[in-house]
Amino acid sequence: MKGDKSLFSAKDIAYIGIMIAVIEACKFALSFLPNIELTTFWLIMFTLFYGRKTAILVPVLILVEGAVYGVNTWWIMYLYIWPLLVLMAWLFRKCESALFWAIFSGIFGLCFGGLCALTPFFMGVFTEGISSGFNTAFSFWISGIPWDIVHCVGNFVFMLILFKPIGKVMKKAFHMEQI
Amino acid sequence: MKNNKKKIIIGGIILAVLIAIFTVCYFKFYAKPVEGSKKVVIEVVDREGNTTGYKLATDAEFLKQAMDELSKSDKEFSYKGSESEYGIMIEEINGQQAIYDKDNAYWALYVNDNYGEYGADQQPVIDGETYTWKYESVTQ
Repeated sequence: MKGDKSLFSAKDIAYIGIMIAVIEACKFALSFLPNIELTTFWLIMFTLFYGRKTAILVPVLILVEGAVYGVNTWWIMYLYIWPLLVLMAWLFRKCESALFWAIFSGIFGLCFGGLCALTPFFMGVFTEGISSGFNTAFSFWISGIPWDIVHCVGNFVFMLILFKPIGKVMKKAFHMEQI
Repeated sequence: MKNNKKKIIIGGIILAVLIAIFTVCYFKFYAKPVEGSKKVVIEVVDREGNTTGYKLATDAEFLKQAMDELSKSDKEFSYKGSESEYGIMIEEINGQQAIYDKDNAYWALYVNDNYGEYGADQQPVIDGETYTWKYESVTQ
């Protein structure tokens, strides 16, 4: 692998396929629980253990999501929310504490609705002006706060429980083979 | 390790503060159900001549909708009726039956003490009005 000068090897393409399959399988398995998801957990873990190549995983994931579930306003939200998560995780990549990542995931879950509200904000701005955009986004965000708290708790618990065991497996999967 | 601890503490504080702010915002700004804009009274004068009044704030367009709302919000009020080509015929209110063929009695509708011109599902609901259902016996 070290001698391979190309940015992505065949192994990387296979890895990305597997990672997206894992995310989609978890998403499908948890789809009966509103706002409980493992996508945040996996994207953080992939960013920490797979590194900057996760940047290419995100657009592929978003395209797959659009192809599977259809393109709607939520898809536009995904265009900036998941890349932002990966970027933020990358900035804190040196931190190895499960509790830190649980808090990080919790904050992300809590702010999810607020980040999503940017889409109705701009939709309102472009149709009826800034005040309409603000009102639409604000009511969108407020009505979703109870579910953002559910999202926050779900993300926090999943990360706290799974960070260490999955981290061990990932260390073996991604780092060991490069040595 | 020290750096990790600092990040955890700062992160924990941010999370706690955000939860507090979001909770306060939610309870301050969430869409609360608003009371209906029309305030009306629905009265029932029963077989014995006793009058019971029910105050209701409603957005109902017609009396039947207002009566449906009232029967859901106040367990003491109930009514039954049958559909006819002229709309609903009220046959029982608060457990007292008044079917003309069987009981020689009927439930008459008065609007502000004037004899009503419409049935329950055609009577418009207007703010401030009183709708009285009166048990009227033909033999009286």
